[in-house]
Amino acid sequence: MEIIPIPTDSYTLGFIGAGKMAESIAKGAIRSGVLPPSRIRTAAHSNLSRRDAFESIGVTVLSSNEDVVRESNVVVFSVKPQLVKDVVLKLKPLLTKNKLLVSVAAGIKLKDLQEWAGHERFIRVMPNTPAAVGEAASVMSLGGAATEEDANLISQLFGSIGKIWKADDKYFDAITGLSGSGPAYIYLAIEALADGGVAAGLPRDLALSLASQTVLGAASMATQSGKHPGQLKDDVTSPGGTTIAGVHELEKAGFRGTLMNAVVAAAKRSRELS
Amino acid sequence: MAESIAKGAIRSGVLPPSRIRTAAHSNLSRRDAFESIGVTVLSSNEDVVRESNVVVFSVKPQLVKDVVLKLKPLLTKNKLLVSVAAGIKLKDLQVTEWAGHERFIRVMPNTPAAVGEAASVMSLGGAATEEDANLISQLFGSIGKIWKADDKYFDAITGLSGSGPAYIYLAIEALADGGVAAGLPRDLALSLASQTVLGAASMATQSGKHPGQLKDDVTSPGGTTIAGVHELEKAGFRGTLMNAVVAAAKRSRELS
Repeated sequence: MEIIPIPTDSYTLGFIGAGKMAESIAKGAIRSGVLPPSRIRTAAHSNLSRRDAFESIGVTVLSSNEDVVRESNVVVFSVKPQLVKDVVLKLKPLLTKNKLLVSVAAGIKLKDLQEWAGHERFIRVMPNTPAAVGEAASVMSLGGAATEEDANLISQLFGSIGKIWKADDKYFDAITGLSGSGPAYIYLAIEALADGGVAAGLPRDLALSLASQTVLGAASMATQSGKHPGQLKDDVTSPGGTTIAGVHELEKAGFRGTLMNAVVAAAKRSRELS
Repeated sequence: MAESIAKGAIRSGVLPPSRIRTAAHSNLSRRDAFESIGVTVLSSNEDVVRESNVVVFSVKPQLVKDVVLKLKPLLTKNKLLVSVAAGIKLKDLQVTEWAGHERFIRVMPNTPAAVGEAASVMSLGGAATEEDANLISQLFGSIGKIWKADDKYFDAITGLSGSGPAYIYLAIEALADGGVAAGLPRDLALSLASQTVLGAASMATQSGKHPGQLKDDVTSPGGTTIAGVHELEKAGFRGTLMNAVVAAAKRSRELS
């Protein structure tokens, strides 16, 4: 049976689960011009603040998930992971193969999604919380019947909230440990840099502002310069200078090994939870 | 650094290239770098000073004193003088033995100026006006963010925003290595590591929330994130970063 392509210029997008991730994606799509609000739908049952969040950006809020599915070419499951199975099963009769199904639920495998939906036109995406500021690190894995055009559509949609890469579903526990959980490690780092600044004599406000902006700048160099982070570090560590003195402290304490441990532990926990 | 500031100013519309000058004596590639963005490259520092209302000293720190002394007769009080040299104190810049006046502003930017995301701090000399400070705010705002602080804080600032990018480069490499240890292909791990750090820092700068609150927001009960955080806490991750900032600040004091 031939897969009917999703019409790229006129497709409608529906969110099952009107949470923060759905809101971030909707806002990103609207802000970047990928979709106008009129082509986005969701349902919010009793929660008025979630209804308001979507209506205030022009998105249509319907009364039921069934209505959302009926009106959408692309259906995104953005409910909490523990609810995905029941929601997909309940909607199954409406989830025809001419709809592209997407899940952003952490820890829910593509093979399970496809089994519950009864078909393989599914794309799984693992975004992360900086979607809220349009700087997500997302990865997608493609179901058996997802077409190249489907993948491009999802690339464009998630490209409006950050960057997106493709990978095999088997990598998603490790991805969870790195990009899923990674922001928290950096929040700790920012707080610690600020505390270090205060220990060195800075007023708190200045220390925190500098810490955040410094991390932002360094990451911008990493994403834009095309250079390896080891090379970037070499470029800024002048002989006997302040920077290599700071780096020495990090190396002495196994800073890098500690971060590796965090990623590995989070990936392991992801496997345990699945 | 001069190139980054010039590019930022032009890109953001703060200054057109026609109002920017520099001199490049023998180094053709530096001449090219500036001429290619439309900046006038003169033959001597003296000519640059004569033609400039605002003069930025962007030579290496060990050369600042000699350069300022040589140009001193031309450094009148109706020119605003700026130094971006790491470790060179405002009081030295202003003293009779150097520029001889106090219409100086010292700025400590950092290397991400190259991508328009510098973390800069300025300290104001005795005769720098509020308008002078606003001008410098606007100029350095075109390459990132800038704050004001007393000159006495600049060793600590060096240890944090000056040296900080290197700590983050180590972190990005380590996150990528952790991803590979957990089974990811290298390219994907490195791309995700860089973008993850960028996203987290964007949340920190834009959300208005304390980093501790941001961490609380994403650590669900018994989840993957708190498992990762636990590893960091066990190993004194935060204390290690504090040590780095303190050590770099201490080194900055030793070098000055």
